[in-house]
Amino acid sequence: MDLAEGFRNHREKIINKWVEYTLSTYGASSFFIKERDKFANPVGGNVREALGQMFRLLEKGADSKEHQPYLDQIISIRSVQEFTPAQAVAPLNAVKHITREVFLADKEREHLAAELYDFEFAVDLLVLAAFDTYMQFRERIYKVRIKEIKSGSHILTDSKCPSKLVSGKDIQDLTKVNGN
Amino acid sequence: MSVPKLEQLSKSVVQGPTLATGAIPTMDWMDIPVVFKPGNYAYPAKKEKVEYLDSLSGLSFPNAREWSPEDDDWKLPEDWKDIIIKGLSDRLDKFRSLKIFMDCCVRCGACADKCHFFLGTGDPKNMPVLRAELLRSVYRNEFTLAGKILGKMAGAREMTVSVLKEWFMYSYQCTECRRCSVFCPYGIDTAEITMMLRELLHLVGVGINWILEPVSNSNRTGNHMGLQPHTFKDNVEFLVDDVEGLTGIRPNVSFNRKGAEILFVTPSADVFAEPGLYTAMGYMILFDAIGLDYTWSTYASEGGNFGLFTNNETMKKLNAKMYAEAERLGVKYIIGGECGHMWRVVHQYMDSMNGPADFLEVPVSPITGTVFENTASTKMVHISEFTADLIKHGKLKFDKSRNSHVKATWHDSCNTARAMGLIEEPRYILDHVVDWVEMPENTIREQTFCCGSGTGLNTDEIMELRMRAGLPRANAVKYVHDKHLVNMLACVCAIDRATLTSLMNYWNPGVEVCGLTELVANALVREGENRPELPEGLRTMLF
Repeated sequence: MDLAEGFRNHREKIINKWVEYTLSTYGASSFFIKERDKFANPVGGNVREALGQMFRLLEKGADSKEHQPYLDQIISIRSVQEFTPAQAVAPLNAVKHITREVFLADKEREHLAAELYDFEFAVDLLVLAAFDTYMQFRERIYKVRIKEIKSGSHILTDSKCPSKLVSGKDIQDLTKVNGN
Repeated sequence: MSVPKLEQLSKSVVQGPTLATGAIPTMDWMDIPVVFKPGNYAYPAKKEKVEYLDSLSGLSFPNAREWSPEDDDWKLPEDWKDIIIKGLSDRLDKFRSLKIFMDCCVRCGACADKCHFFLGTGDPKNMPVLRAELLRSVYRNEFTLAGKILGKMAGAREMTVSVLKEWFMYSYQCTECRRCSVFCPYGIDTAEITMMLRELLHLVGVGINWILEPVSNSNRTGNHMGLQPHTFKDNVEFLVDDVEGLTGIRPNVSFNRKGAEILFVTPSADVFAEPGLYTAMGYMILFDAIGLDYTWSTYASEGGNFGLFTNNETMKKLNAKMYAEAERLGVKYIIGGECGHMWRVVHQYMDSMNGPADFLEVPVSPITGTVFENTASTKMVHISEFTADLIKHGKLKFDKSRNSHVKATWHDSCNTARAMGLIEEPRYILDHVVDWVEMPENTIREQTFCCGSGTGLNTDEIMELRMRAGLPRANAVKYVHDKHLVNMLACVCAIDRATLTSLMNYWNPGVEVCGLTELVANALVREGENRPELPEGLRTMLF
């Protein structure tokens, strides 16, 4: 019974637990877990899709670069929600514990828990990459904000209304200056 | 890194009492206070803006002051509670709809998961039913027997400062897009509940600057920007120069011209900010091509009506100015440009506020003879209805290849789609001018998702909130961007054009945003034109 077979056997279970754990960080976790339509439930749908893909990559020990599109998929969302940086990336770490727990609960495969060093090291790298990704998206949102300000829509409120120049008080001031 | 136990990890992830931080609720929703921090609230209105608005006859914006949502003390007037309860009582008498909406909800939950703010934040208080419950609980306490006797057991609660703060938080996390109403079996318009919450808050001087300053500018000079007539005219004329440079034909425009057949009103953003100004160039090209007898107005120089986001009196006043100008100029009717909430006001409220506009004529297209009977009372035709009619009668010649740089998808702007049923016309136009695809079914037409920044929430200090709220829309765009290489999100709303641009820059870089008439003008073939190769249509920079 090798590790690859162990992963294959428990893949769905582990992914499900990982998804549920990640979605439990939201107030409305039950809806986010239950609704499977990605367009009716963008947070749940994207988390489910991305974690599923990432687990498959972890199984085969893929290069961490291959995880990037899926990290983007999850972290782009969590970096604009009200999480601290640690809260935003922490659920990725959970897969280590979930996998270990699932293997230990299976009498035939509990010995595999001892072989998880490489897998867990890959998860550690994933969490580090998630911090980088988090920062990239934070920088992106600041750039979006600056771009919007530069585009001129701030004129909506931060400019003086030109007609204010002829408001009553100004007219009084003008008359004072003119000495009339 | 060690392998933490899942519970320990949870402890490090889930902390603090607010739902929005990801904590699992351990208390009843009524007992969870709101926490204001930079980024989750829009800046309060400047004192002088509130004072100015309060000084206007017919408008009431009392209790102007400096205050901050982050402070414990909001410096509310001493009798704030009486003001709120009396305000609610007045409105229950005045608006039968409010009374019905307060009483008839059975809390079936059909609306709960339909709100883009809920879907983007996961915060239960953003479920429309619960957002309405914020007001309903106070209503029960003050105005129903069950609530008075049974209190909390009957879902009632007393009006407190903490409840007021909750109102401010969540009535400004609703864009009044009305997607939830589509699913409500009783037809409760939760947007109108948000409108009431905002009205009540204004009674005690609680409002946001991004709304009240444009309202005040609009009242002074006729547009959100506070542009005076000469500036507005100059801006339009810059665009005339650009159109001449791009097409070889100088479009004929006029301002405040008495006796013109048609008054054209559009959001002021169209004449001064990208990408709206390409849409404005589109209007000029289209109207010039058919020889329309129309005029711009430098006084009714704003289609947008931020009054809708404050109270009904202000909405009425700002709406009235368009009609006053139409009467002054002696036009036959009005054509309205690509705006969102202007159309909600015109279609749903104008008639009972300022209508019927008997001094105008039922709109008839001078080109096709079509009578727009759907506008028989408001006398205001949407540019997409007008354009679709021109196409239907073969009055416009298109070369679709002029839009070959564009692969479009269509965003049904909430107000035009849900509030006036403008669903088929834009699609008919798109079919004739550009290659385009639909987004997934449950994100379009009546079920369209809001840009996340409507109702005056398009301000930059709440950018993250806007990105969360816009996630459902952006998520559907991403799908067609990945699958069909869509690079343009077309729409008919000025707030959309501005805010979807930021939304795309965050979620889907590579997708631009445009107005529908820009695509029409890109593809329009005119006699006598001297048009160089324009690889980016009207956006091409010529040197």
